[in-house]
Amino acid sequence: MTSAKARLQSQAFVEDVAEEMLSSRSFWADARARFFKNRMALVSVFMLFLLVLFAIFGNVIAQWSYEEIDWNLLGMIKEEGGPSIANGHYFGVDELGRDMYARVVQGSRTSLLVGFVAGIASVLIGSTIGAFAGYFGGRFDSIVMGGYTIWLSVPYIIFFVVWQAFFGRSLGQMILVIVLVNWTAGLLIVRGQVMMLRNREFVDAARMLGLSDVAIIFRHIAPNILWVVVIYTSMVVPEVIMMESLVSFLGVGIQEPNTSWGALISEGASTMTFGTLWQLAFPAAFFVIAQVSLYYIGDGLRDALDPKDRL
Amino acid sequence: MFNYSVRRLLTAVPTILILIVFAFYLMRLAPGGPFTSEKPLPPAVMENVLKRYGMDEPLHMQLFTYIKNIVCCFDFGPSFSQKDRSVNDIIAQGFPVTLTYGFWSAVFVLVLGIPLGIIAALRHNSFWDYLMTGLAIFSQIFPNFVLAPLMVLLFTLSWGLLPGGGWNGGQWQYIVMPAIALGTSYMAGVARLTRGSLLEVLNSPFIRTARAKGLPERTILIRHALKPALLPTLTYMGPVFVYMITGSVFIDVFFSTGGIGQDFIDGAYSRDYSVLLGLAIIYCVLTFSINLVLDLLYAWIDPKVRDSL
Repeated sequence: MTSAKARLQSQAFVEDVAEEMLSSRSFWADARARFFKNRMALVSVFMLFLLVLFAIFGNVIAQWSYEEIDWNLLGMIKEEGGPSIANGHYFGVDELGRDMYARVVQGSRTSLLVGFVAGIASVLIGSTIGAFAGYFGGRFDSIVMGGYTIWLSVPYIIFFVVWQAFFGRSLGQMILVIVLVNWTAGLLIVRGQVMMLRNREFVDAARMLGLSDVAIIFRHIAPNILWVVVIYTSMVVPEVIMMESLVSFLGVGIQEPNTSWGALISEGASTMTFGTLWQLAFPAAFFVIAQVSLYYIGDGLRDALDPKDRL
Repeated sequence: MFNYSVRRLLTAVPTILILIVFAFYLMRLAPGGPFTSEKPLPPAVMENVLKRYGMDEPLHMQLFTYIKNIVCCFDFGPSFSQKDRSVNDIIAQGFPVTLTYGFWSAVFVLVLGIPLGIIAALRHNSFWDYLMTGLAIFSQIFPNFVLAPLMVLLFTLSWGLLPGGGWNGGQWQYIVMPAIALGTSYMAGVARLTRGSLLEVLNSPFIRTARAKGLPERTILIRHALKPALLPTLTYMGPVFVYMITGSVFIDVFFSTGGIGQDFIDGAYSRDYSVLLGLAIIYCVLTFSINLVLDLLYAWIDPKVRDSL
């Protein structure tokens, strides 16, 4: 108590405060400072970084490829197929005798790639549509909102499965269909923000300078709603990873021998009655770590960028 | 109110029609079909097969017949891959199963989620509050397809308490795990939402007035705070039901409950047009009608919404 009081009266503290008040910091610098104070978020960023490194460079230390079958172990996977350093299968082998380590690396690649590419693309498309709807209003806005309401009430897995069943099962298709399903991501919130901003003076000023509507939206309004988009992206990416995994779990995801977390979890779950638990444990652990870190990163971003909205 | 329902129905019907047409063309225009196999059928046989299923006619005629049959006689046509079953049979067999555990799952979500949210709000920052935050994070990290294997691992393989799958005529042991696996994440969502809105309501002036009048806390909660606090929860139930309906596809596949989800996925594998389309229509109709019912319920509870209809 006394030490706290002493600190408050010390010269150093006064200088600190004075410096903080004098140096005008931008919104983003402020947010960065808040984010770096959040220990959970920092640990999560580090974990996610490790995961990405694992997905990119994990194959360097793999001794088997993800589609190669270890014939020595076939028929005795339950006894010999567990995780072992000696035979080079760090995470054991799967039902067919393929190296789980290499397959988890491959699965992480797919899931992270789909999650980030499709997640970011959907938010960009959704927010752009939302920004236009909010800016122009009127008939365009009501068409977009009608489409939005209807789309929300269509069960997405159904659409997803139908689409995947009939058009290839490649990575590109997967990303495309996720974007198609998710085009509403961020639409509503960006629309609301733009509707608030479009009557502000700086927009009037830009209009008087003779800028076109598109230029106003992208050059003058977009920087002001970037924070919403960032927050929303951090929420959508784990959702997309989950969506991809769920569809892969159902067996209509990425084509074999390529794999993803969902497909690996599904295979592991189907064999766990035989006691080969490592086939479920490793992919599930990676999935859970990714979800935990993305959750805390999103939480940290929300606190950092939108400090009013803390409950 | 009546007008509103009619208007909503009038928008739902064309929407579903558009979806049917879209899905129909999507399926038919994709390469391959239910009768393409490794060894191609002789042309004469193929012709007969196509004729048998009415697939020799032009696409728009097929679509027209299909929709006509659904509208006039609720007939979704024969299944292409399961020779002796029609889509109606499949629906009649699987739909009650899906509805049964879906219903119990919804009960689980509401009966556990709402009280948990209320307790967390009343004991703000207590153990219950932290438990709820933990639950919310937990449900985000363990979605149903990770949770379900874990539950089977614990309750079936380790402790042998519950059967790990199957339906067995809908005995309760067979319903417990599907219902919980389907509902957990939405239970957490309902609890979080209830907590947030109840906290907000409890801080509002009319509650202060009620307190000032000297009403006991219990009366304030039950008579005044609960109704407005549960409104956001009710709106949230719309999307929840949609996700539960789609989530049931996964539950059917994992627990082999014999619901329509399994047939849907099988239909996707074997390109069984009629099963896939028929079940997709059922899922959509179900979603639309639940949303309509919830909207009407919302209007019935909230006078502001009711007057604006």
